[in-house]
Amino acid sequence: MQFRNLLKLEARTIGFGIIGLILLGYLLFLPPPSQITNAHLGMVMLGVIIASILLGFPIAFTLIGLGILFGFVAFGRSGVPLLESPIFDNMVLRTYGVMTTDVIIAVPLFIFMGYIVERSGIIDRLFRSLELAMSAVPGALAVATIATCAMFAAATGIIGAVVTLMGLLVLQPMLKAGYDVRLSTGAIAAGGCLGILIPPSVMLILYGATAGVSVVQLYMGALIPGIMLSCMYVGYVIVRAIINPKLAPRLPVEERNVPFKEIVKMLATSVFPLAFLIAAVLGSILFGVATPTEAAAVGALGAALLAACYGRMSLTRLKESVFLTSRTTAMVCWLLVGSWVFSSTFATLGGQNLLESWVYAADLSPGGFLFFSQLIIFLLGWPLDWTVIIIIFVPIFLPMLPAFGIDPLFFGLLTAINLQTAFLSPPMAMAAYYLKGVAPPHVTLADIFYGMVPFMLLQLAAMILLVLFPAIGMWLPSVFYQ
Amino acid sequence: MNHYLLLIDRISAWTGKTFAWTVVLLTLIVGYDVTMRYIFNAQTQWGFDLAYILYGILFMMAGAYTLSRNGHVRADMMYRTLRPKTQAWFDLVLYLLFFLPGISALVYAGIDFAHVSWQMREVSSVTSSGVPIYPFKLAIPVAGFLLLLQGFAEIARCIVCIRTGEWPRRLHDVEEEDIDQLKKIISDDPVKGA
Repeated sequence: MQFRNLLKLEARTIGFGIIGLILLGYLLFLPPPSQITNAHLGMVMLGVIIASILLGFPIAFTLIGLGILFGFVAFGRSGVPLLESPIFDNMVLRTYGVMTTDVIIAVPLFIFMGYIVERSGIIDRLFRSLELAMSAVPGALAVATIATCAMFAAATGIIGAVVTLMGLLVLQPMLKAGYDVRLSTGAIAAGGCLGILIPPSVMLILYGATAGVSVVQLYMGALIPGIMLSCMYVGYVIVRAIINPKLAPRLPVEERNVPFKEIVKMLATSVFPLAFLIAAVLGSILFGVATPTEAAAVGALGAALLAACYGRMSLTRLKESVFLTSRTTAMVCWLLVGSWVFSSTFATLGGQNLLESWVYAADLSPGGFLFFSQLIIFLLGWPLDWTVIIIIFVPIFLPMLPAFGIDPLFFGLLTAINLQTAFLSPPMAMAAYYLKGVAPPHVTLADIFYGMVPFMLLQLAAMILLVLFPAIGMWLPSVFYQ
Repeated sequence: MNHYLLLIDRISAWTGKTFAWTVVLLTLIVGYDVTMRYIFNAQTQWGFDLAYILYGILFMMAGAYTLSRNGHVRADMMYRTLRPKTQAWFDLVLYLLFFLPGISALVYAGIDFAHVSWQMREVSSVTSSGVPIYPFKLAIPVAGFLLLLQGFAEIARCIVCIRTGEWPRRLHDVEEEDIDQLKKIISDDPVKGA
């Protein structure tokens, strides 16, 4: 409990501290009001947005409001009457732009597919049969958890729900089987975050839409790093379980002793149908047979069919999935509306140019730029949802990539792993709070944090590997796009 | 007072939930389109137009509904450590400063935008299917108006909270309900006993 209070205090101190620093910065560096240029206003805008986000107001509306207010000022300075300000046209065209961007149509469909899979109890069956099939492996429950998460990630693009669902589903059985609290919570939190990277990730669709990179290529690029990372997790758990079997005791013999036939039957009814669905959806995207939108629609239909076959489809379940889909989609897309309105004004003011000229003046090497941009993304990933970072902050870096000769595809893959890492990094890690919300009371936040650290280090290792050997991500797209 | 607030919640929820079903239509139409293309080699023209129209309506009309469930993403690491009264003060100021001007501008600009389109009975220019898109553009001012209405309810909630020190009740608390639903899904599972 004390640990929690400490965190509270820290969050508040850090938050107000940053807001104070921004204000101080303005007092020190802004010229007197008569000499303020539009580009200066752009910088004020950027500072105000960071401060208001920290105050906890819904970010989409902060963006829309700031875009409008600063737009008024910018156009007002050149003498345009308020009600005829071009900012109105800008705003409505940006909004309509979000409504008609065809790449994003895949977002609600993948979210819908994910909720159907989540609500249909497919995951439950999946975990139980994987657990039985792997009972001979050291750390069987933790390995099965990560494998289930990876498969679920491949069937959906949402993450908060996965940590919650897996926490509810597997934490109790693991603790009952005598598993170490830290190892169990770490495996759940780390596995639950795999959805950011593993296709069909919604994050990669949004990145593709803002960066103008083909979503198909992003999916291809993310496939191998995603599998690599899952294997690293599994390997780590097995090694820990072999070195210290007390952390992950074997299941009792009577539970392990399931006839081979029984296991095959369970796998055939749980893992194979979902694996087939995933292969069909991803396969058709990667081989160019269908667009992500089409594959997502077919995937949603397939998931509904699968749920119906399991006798788990009911009107109530469908309703829940539909309503949750609409709320998640609205959350993401209104954020896009806000961001597009904001960035339109930001660019009009010349803020983006000023920022870029600063970065170029710093005379960074490509490696240095990559390091600093990813560091900023990592730090932002502590307090902010990944949607916010991808939609608002990553676009600031994107126009600078060509100057440093960095492939936006590569940058996207690195950002995806980076955001996963930030999600697992104390003290702000969102995954920990999701898990704490459903864990038994004796599992403390500190336990979860300690449990996540090794997985976070594995993520860092994966990032370094990707930077040293870009082929891990870039090889597959290059094969298909020759 | 609270009666009116809950009424606004209900209006937002009703419109959001009604238009939420467009995702099912969207799934079916895109699915149909793919089938037509691969099996009958006859892709429809209107399928593409209808897809983005349904997607656009889905998220626009769910904006107010999502706000009524406090579902728009906020960075709450600091916010959640504050007392309700302080939270309400922050929210109140920012609703007046950002939300009202921003969304009012959206409604104002949206009416004009939809009006022009409506007058010329605009059809899609993306494909040659002739699908009318003027009703689609109407979604901007309508969604903006609903958001504005829900925004007023939220502002009233802030004022109540500043006076009484605690947040007034919402239609229902989704987060908890959601976890309960997930628990139910798990405990329902027939495989569990096996």
